[in-house]
Amino acid sequence: MITTIGEIVRGDAAVFPPYLYEAYRSTLRRAPRLPLVEVPLTSSELTQPRLDVSHVTAEDADLTRNAGTGGEALGQRIIVTGRVMDENGLPVPGALLEVWQANAAGRYIHKRDGWPGPLDPNFLGIGRCLTSTAGEYRFLTVRPGAYPWGNHENAWRPAHIHFSVLAPSWSQRLVTQMYFSDDPLLGLDPIFNAVPEGARPRLIATYAHDVTKSQWALGWRWDIVLAGPDATAFEAREQSAA
Amino acid sequence: MSAFSVTPSQTVGPFFHDCLLRDDRCEAMVSDEAGSQIRVEGRVIDGDGAGVPDAVIEVWQNASFARIATDAEGGFSFSTARPRRVSFDRATMQAPHLSIAVFARGLMNHLLTRIYFEDEPSTESDPILRHVPEARRTTLIARRAADERLTPQYRFDIVLQGAGETVFFDFTSPAR
Repeated sequence: MITTIGEIVRGDAAVFPPYLYEAYRSTLRRAPRLPLVEVPLTSSELTQPRLDVSHVTAEDADLTRNAGTGGEALGQRIIVTGRVMDENGLPVPGALLEVWQANAAGRYIHKRDGWPGPLDPNFLGIGRCLTSTAGEYRFLTVRPGAYPWGNHENAWRPAHIHFSVLAPSWSQRLVTQMYFSDDPLLGLDPIFNAVPEGARPRLIATYAHDVTKSQWALGWRWDIVLAGPDATAFEAREQSAA
Repeated sequence: MSAFSVTPSQTVGPFFHDCLLRDDRCEAMVSDEAGSQIRVEGRVIDGDGAGVPDAVIEVWQNASFARIATDAEGGFSFSTARPRRVSFDRATMQAPHLSIAVFARGLMNHLLTRIYFEDEPSTESDPILRHVPEARRTTLIARRAADERLTPQYRFDIVLQGAGETVFFDFTSPAR
């Protein structure tokens, strides 16, 4: 597929997708056209906001049962787990991960999702958890289905789980999507393909038999590496200058 | 590929509301900091001049965080503590500002901008604004609304593309 690819990228252009990627139609009228203004990071971007995480419970990480109906979601039960790290490979503890996904039939509960895939009364498709001191997260869910969308003729999104990561530093904020390694739709998806080719594998979870639980659920592993310095870099600089 | 290759971003898509804006996750996340409050309202606008009805903005300042979805016309509003000046480097202070991230279907990575205030004298000498071409600085400055309610009201539109396009930042290494 031939597509116009814009030059405006925030962050490393070998990693992050350009704002304008014509094959993904929604970028056309929403991508900025003027160059981003490069400025130094300041305390505003490197210090930690106070997040109210008192609402986060262990049940929030079990999407198969957190609909509050007492019933269990339909579909292939999966465990999705991994580590959140900074770009030096150090764990990022206490990060808030929020996930949302379609059900096993490829339907979201969202009111604007109107395609005729069946809803599952026992599945909300939303979850959250905090990373452990080792930076680890773990969700129990069902494998999402693919679903059609209006981007182009016979367009289907590959199965994916949306991830939002609120790390201790504003500069590390990330919203992304996790895909599955055995999905034939990946190469056809302009949202996935908007990422530079060398970085695409980093969005793909791999099957992990050591995560799979016998008689229960299949295991998938996906690590998240956050760009940018965290608050410690800022504090170290403050101390060295003091 | 190194073991610690950075994870790329993807669009937030159109279906984030149930997850990111559940009752206890949006305005409830604004901290009740002591001090005076301000209210900011505006619209997120696309390259056709139309409101963006499926955007979510995040507002960060020192110790507080808020998340607000746009309405059917692209409008948003929020209340927060009036920001104070914070350090830039050991010799310089920044003008009061709010850090803003914009997420939407069609945005492959969130956009970063700032809200400054027209009635704040230090805005003129802010060290970050100095990096912005002079003609575009006004896109980062909230206008004080004329009406004098108890809580000061400001207007700040976020124009993603086209005439009056908002300045968006790419942050590089820390200031020294």
